Amino acid sequence: MAGESALFCQLFFLGIPILIYIGSLVFGELHQNKLLLKLDTEEKALEGRTNPVTNLSKPSQARQIASSSLVMESISVGPSWWQMLMGGIKNFFGGKIHSYDKMLTYGRRVVIHRLRMQAIQSGFDEVINLRVETAMISKKSKGDDKTAAFEFTAYGTAIRYSASQD
Amino acid sequence: MLLNMSEGMHLSNTETVPGKLITASFGLVQGSTVRAKNIFKDFGAGLKNMVGGELKAYTELLQEARNEALQRMMMDAQSRGANAIVNIRFATSAVAGGAAELFAYGTAVTVE
Repeated sequence: MAGESALFCQLFFLGIPILIYIGSLVFGELHQNKLLLKLDTEEKALEGRTNPVTNLSKPSQARQIASSSLVMESISVGPSWWQMLMGGIKNFFGGKIHSYDKMLTYGRRVVIHRLRMQAIQSGFDEVINLRVETAMISKKSKGDDKTAAFEFTAYGTAIRYSASQD
Repeated sequence: MLLNMSEGMHLSNTETVPGKLITASFGLVQGSTVRAKNIFKDFGAGLKNMVGGELKAYTELLQEARNEALQRMMMDAQSRGANAIVNIRFATSAVAGGAAELFAYGTAVTVE
């Protein structure tokens, strides 16, 4: 009887982390696919609109400029616990770490999309000199696990051309 | 975040303010702020991290901090009598566990 309960205890304490990681895998996958789908539809909705976002340092058109402004957007994204675990294991062997790709690509895409939305809503014609920066926000000062969140910042100069052609 | 309209200051991250002429330069201006994470927000973000995706608590915290860094930079420029800041750059660094430094810098100038 004593042996049985000890075995049960061991299974219980081993089972909880495994369940948590499996939960992280399943719900993480569902949640992230939902986010990507939402971004896809939002980007589709803007198709065909002329609002170029470029990293050129000069305006693309030689027209009179009515106003300009600094615009910026930022977002913090994190990989799921499962993805961090996979990344940690992969880190040992080296090579490509696919599990981080998804959220990093998502973060960069969404921040540029939001900047574009902001420029459209404020009535600007284009955004030039776009810069995208990445920063890692550490979880704790010690230990290996420092990749709890990534912060992406996109900023640029938004330009509104004057209505009259000259 | 369209800050320059309210403050009457032209901000730009290009080398000039588009469509305007620079008449005087006042040198480098900067603003910085260090923010630490709130323990409750950190807990929430830690749970959110389980499924990954956007961590709204951190997004808001860092946006707030970046705005403050910008405001400090603008105050620096105003005290020198400039009415525009060009070539603005942002930098973020994690100074300690759970704290981040947001830094903004640029060149203060007078336009037209």
